[in-house]
Amino acid sequence: MTVKEFNLPDLGEGLTEGEILKWLVQVGDTIELNQPIVEVETAKAAVEIPAKWAGKVDKIFHPEGTTVEVGVPIIAINTDPSGATAAPTPSAASLAAVEIAGDAPVEPGMIGGPAPGGRTAVLVGYGPKTTAAKRRPRATAATVPTQPPATPVAPAPVEVAAVEVAPAAPPRPVQGSVLAKPPVRKLARDLGVDLAGIAGTGPNGSITRDDVLSVSAAPTAPAPVTATMTGPAAAPRVGREERIPVKGVRKLTAENMVASAFTAPHVTEFLTVDVTRSMKALERLKTKRDWRDVRVSPLLMVAKAALVALKRHPMVNSSWQATSAGAAEIVVKHYVNLGIAAATERGLIVPNVKDADALTTRELADALNALVATAREGKTSPAAMSGGTFTITSVGVFGVDTGTPILPPGESAILVFGAIRDTPWVHKGKIKIRQVTTLGLSFDHRIIDGELGSKFLRDVGAFLEDPEGSLLAWS
Amino acid sequence: MAETLTIGKALNTGLRRAMERDPKVLIMGEDVGKLGGVFRITDGLQKDFGDERVIDTPLAESGIIGTAVGLAIRGYRPVCEIQFDGFVYPAYDQIVSQVAKMHYRSQGKVSLPIVIRIPFGGGIGAVEHHSESPEAYFAHTAGLKVVSCSNPDDAYWMIQQSIESDDPIIFMEPKRRYWEKGQVNVDTASAPLHVSRVVRPGADGTLLAYGPMVRTALDAATAAAEDGRELEVIDLRTLSPLDMAPVYESVRRTGRAIVVHEAPGNLGLGSEIAARITEECFYSLEAPVLRVTGFDTPYPAARVEEEYLPDLDRVLDAVDRSFGF
Repeated sequence: MTVKEFNLPDLGEGLTEGEILKWLVQVGDTIELNQPIVEVETAKAAVEIPAKWAGKVDKIFHPEGTTVEVGVPIIAINTDPSGATAAPTPSAASLAAVEIAGDAPVEPGMIGGPAPGGRTAVLVGYGPKTTAAKRRPRATAATVPTQPPATPVAPAPVEVAAVEVAPAAPPRPVQGSVLAKPPVRKLARDLGVDLAGIAGTGPNGSITRDDVLSVSAAPTAPAPVTATMTGPAAAPRVGREERIPVKGVRKLTAENMVASAFTAPHVTEFLTVDVTRSMKALERLKTKRDWRDVRVSPLLMVAKAALVALKRHPMVNSSWQATSAGAAEIVVKHYVNLGIAAATERGLIVPNVKDADALTTRELADALNALVATAREGKTSPAAMSGGTFTITSVGVFGVDTGTPILPPGESAILVFGAIRDTPWVHKGKIKIRQVTTLGLSFDHRIIDGELGSKFLRDVGAFLEDPEGSLLAWS
Repeated sequence: MAETLTIGKALNTGLRRAMERDPKVLIMGEDVGKLGGVFRITDGLQKDFGDERVIDTPLAESGIIGTAVGLAIRGYRPVCEIQFDGFVYPAYDQIVSQVAKMHYRSQGKVSLPIVIRIPFGGGIGAVEHHSESPEAYFAHTAGLKVVSCSNPDDAYWMIQQSIESDDPIIFMEPKRRYWEKGQVNVDTASAPLHVSRVVRPGADGTLLAYGPMVRTALDAATAAAEDGRELEVIDLRTLSPLDMAPVYESVRRTGRAIVVHEAPGNLGLGSEIAARITEECFYSLEAPVLRVTGFDTPYPAARVEEEYLPDLDRVLDAVDRSFGF
């Protein structure tokens, strides 16, 4: 015999009790499933409650006219009348009462008391879960790079993610001290630049796009600098000396430098110029609609100056070539393949912008940016590195004033510019703070005399001192 | 003195304290008197304070709030219970047109010290209209203050501070957490009302939550710690006005922020918080401010609500996404 107790059910939202109006069955009656057994009146309506189980009425707990709280047993039904006698089994007996502090334990099924499925009983609904939150198994955690974006080690995170199953995330330094706009951080990560090492020039000392690009381009190494062995400095020190095999770009660079230095008699001249107007011209350029998304840098102005000056002095854009007869001839190029010295992870390379003299300023800017980006990715093609006619190198990014560059083989001149510094400068008869840089020009003295070299360098300087005025005067 | 109380009991006790302290404090609502409220938050108050101070109202929310406006003008401090979040809309006109505007309309001469208690959010397996998160509607309305408690100590103190406030306050109660227990310091409040607080310190990212989602955020932070990520959890507590200073301070340190709420994401509190963080902490952000919210659908049927509600795993997924930037 199985006797089940039937509790007064939740009759509607906000109602917790009902008055037993009329019993429709009596003790001993045999009832069917869903047969109406009792009429209950709530604050809202009188309702008939159907039987939840078929069986025989074992006991009726409350007489008509009494008010009963929801969840309290009202009737006991013997669902197995043929079985042996047994004590009624409260349906919720297995549920432990939940204690509400300061009050007596709440009966199972009462508001705040335990409900089936590890829940707390409420008037409306299954009730909130009382079980602790559990996480699902997480396979994804390992595939997410834990490397902080601001301190990337180039492509390492991807490999780590692919190989390790569950890398313990290393303790991360707080990034609070590095200020950079999110897009700049993205750029820096893409370029493999560590923001922590950069002094920002933007608002509040934040690192700007140009800061990242100039550091990234920093290895735009000029010929003279490459003479020092900078590459392996970070390698672990073992012993008092270290032997590094000379190969690849290093070997090629060395051969070219030696060939050039001992073939072409080099002369270097210097000129210190006030480039304030050039910098202002760049600023104005940035405000123009067509130029909004274009990165412009001092390199663009220097390149433009060189191209303008080359047009005025074509002999500078030439090459000394030995002929078969042991004699030689000078080849004057009517096109300018403008080389830009760029330091990459693999070493110094000098890709050039083909026919740079035929480009508009905007096209030139795009070409320079593309050239730098390609070099940085290590994707510069051999074709892009051959056929140069004139080269520009910047040592300013290293913070030095100028240098004495060595000519790329086959070219007759190379222009170097140094750091642009705020400097006391005599301007219109008064000492003012102006932006000043030092230009250097190395040239092949076989082709170019001091006079020509000086005139060329002076024109480059004149352009940078007054770009608009020079364009007007020379065209 | 510290007592262990559930959030529900803490609210009940806090209401009792307020009524003892100030005879002008009234409680009004559906079934708040004889029944003691469907969640028993006003249990025993009518018995002890009488049916003129704990008033069972008709099932008419607009009337409850309208009556409260009149009472407040005449110097009472009504505490209105909206039985379930989804029942507040008949009163919406009274709340935004009268409650929110009276102080402004009267050039500051008339204040309405009304508290409107709304048990909100899902997770109790209830039917339609019983699991909604309408806080953004009120936070969007100037002239209202909106707060939400997440633990018994805050429940006890914030309800009293709200009643003491001369401004109208929408008091959002985390109904699925009513039975969670915690220590309540019944002697001194740990914080003023309109203050957000760090409830778990961490250096790698900041989780922002309020009401029922604070527990979820804390669970997520515990789980993330197993992955080696120390997440800071901030309990916003005050939704209008927002107290952003601790948030900015935290995000500047961690560089990452994730807002968690049950309400739908579109134009939810998380949108405003994300915008403010972006405006104030732009240079510090390692990743965009992410949101873990309910979906932009009506609140679903009870059987699938656990798919809808932000949980531990969805928060951790967002943490992974944040670290992916």
